Amino acid sequence: MSEFDAIVVGAGPAGSSSAIKMASGGLNVLLVERGDPPGSKNVSGGILWGKDLSSIIPDWEKSAPLERYVERKVTSFLTHDSEIAIDFKTKKFQQDKTGYSVLRTRLDGYLARKAQQAGAMLVTGVTVDSLAMKDGKVVGVINEGETITSDVVILAEGPNPRVAISAGLREKPNDKTVAVGVKQVYKLPENVINDRFNLRGNAGFAGEYVISFLPNNVFAGGFLYTNKDTISVGVVINLETLRKDGKTHSFDIMEQFVQHPYIAPFLEGGQLQEYSAHFVYEGGYESLPKPYGNGYMMVGDTAGFSFSNGMILQGMNYAISSGILAGESAIEAKKDNDFSEVSLSRYWKKLEVSPAILDKKNFRGINSVVWSGLVHRTIPALLETSLQNMLYETGAPKKHLSQILLKSMSSTGVSSKDMMIQGYRLMRRM
Amino acid sequence: MEIEEKLALLNYKTDPEYAHITVNPSICETCPDHFCTFACPAKCYTLIEGKLNFKYEDCVECGTCDVACSHGSVKWTNPKDGHGIKYKFG
Repeated sequence: MSEFDAIVVGAGPAGSSSAIKMASGGLNVLLVERGDPPGSKNVSGGILWGKDLSSIIPDWEKSAPLERYVERKVTSFLTHDSEIAIDFKTKKFQQDKTGYSVLRTRLDGYLARKAQQAGAMLVTGVTVDSLAMKDGKVVGVINEGETITSDVVILAEGPNPRVAISAGLREKPNDKTVAVGVKQVYKLPENVINDRFNLRGNAGFAGEYVISFLPNNVFAGGFLYTNKDTISVGVVINLETLRKDGKTHSFDIMEQFVQHPYIAPFLEGGQLQEYSAHFVYEGGYESLPKPYGNGYMMVGDTAGFSFSNGMILQGMNYAISSGILAGESAIEAKKDNDFSEVSLSRYWKKLEVSPAILDKKNFRGINSVVWSGLVHRTIPALLETSLQNMLYETGAPKKHLSQILLKSMSSTGVSSKDMMIQGYRLMRRM
Repeated sequence: MEIEEKLALLNYKTDPEYAHITVNPSICETCPDHFCTFACPAKCYTLIEGKLNFKYEDCVECGTCDVACSHGSVKWTNPKDGHGIKYKFG
């Protein structure tokens, strides 16, 4: 007889959502978090996209610590001197909200409390050292040599899942499956943020940037999100190109981003509150681990559920939805009193028809585009040169757009054939 | 802003008895790239007179060094119960 029906390792959005689902379904749940309080080890950009919480917390949009809703979404290329951006603002997001900026210490604390209210037992400041195994089955967790037993263990450790890795349930992260996120939070008065970003009320700004001005061929993206009275700003650094370069420091990339002539004015006068770093899961469909087995399921980043197509960065939504599906599967497995691999394959069946897997599958190979020279160097250079040529009034007769583009291509060293082939691939993958 | 000023903003519950990350000095001595010194956002890895210096106390637990080191020197574990970085915003 196990001490718990389920033990959840990690009280982030994935783990707590799973715990809420299971505890509400009558399961006896232990939620173990190494941070004290929950969220204190976690970092996210972060925008919580979608409405995945609705099924477990119907009033979440009123009760959760949401900072601002996204009303203005910017997708942008930054070159050394310029910014070329799509700046999409719509009042439609005021009626039907698509995403909210959040701070993880607040959100994770809220979700863990919801899990407690649903009946889960929460312990914080406790590090699970390893999994307890018996006859090839996961039967619990081990902390400081002591075993706590359960019918099923839900691994919700985030993108650096030491317990799952040491148990051999998934591979160690590598240059292709993770990028390094570095983030800074600045404090600014609410009215200053509203004025600076052209916002009213609790409308918010979410910007994602291609940082194309880094030396050599280091690729990085940037983000800037408004919270109530703080701004979250950060970079996501591709490790493969950072390694190949071997001369650029991750710390300096963050500094260069916040000092960019079109980023710095947003942050001016802001007081730096926090510097943080965390993995961003980047692996594609091919590198997804098998997310279940005898006595265990993996959720959120631990299972590789995240998505980025260069326009949007998502993770918490998949964390929540996969956590709920794992919780549902555990409830069903409990009814059959069967937590074997065969029984828990029901989790995979649910995942296969959910966005967590479908988005990965449909956007297979997207990372080779997101982290390509085309996106990070060619397109920004071409756009900058073309716009410059188009807008610079010389007094001479004007040229057609096609002539300007061709001239810009030749001055940036791109052949039109290459551009067509690569552009077509980019459109197809995005 | 320097790294020291940024790290000074952070709260840690340092474990004086357990270093959650260790490096193998004999491997680091012959390392041709020292990529850890460029990858670690908290600058826990520095070269002092050509010798690798590592301090786990400043670690923000991102995991980067474990991926960065391709020579098997870094041994990465989670800090023990409640120790390590304590973010206020996250």
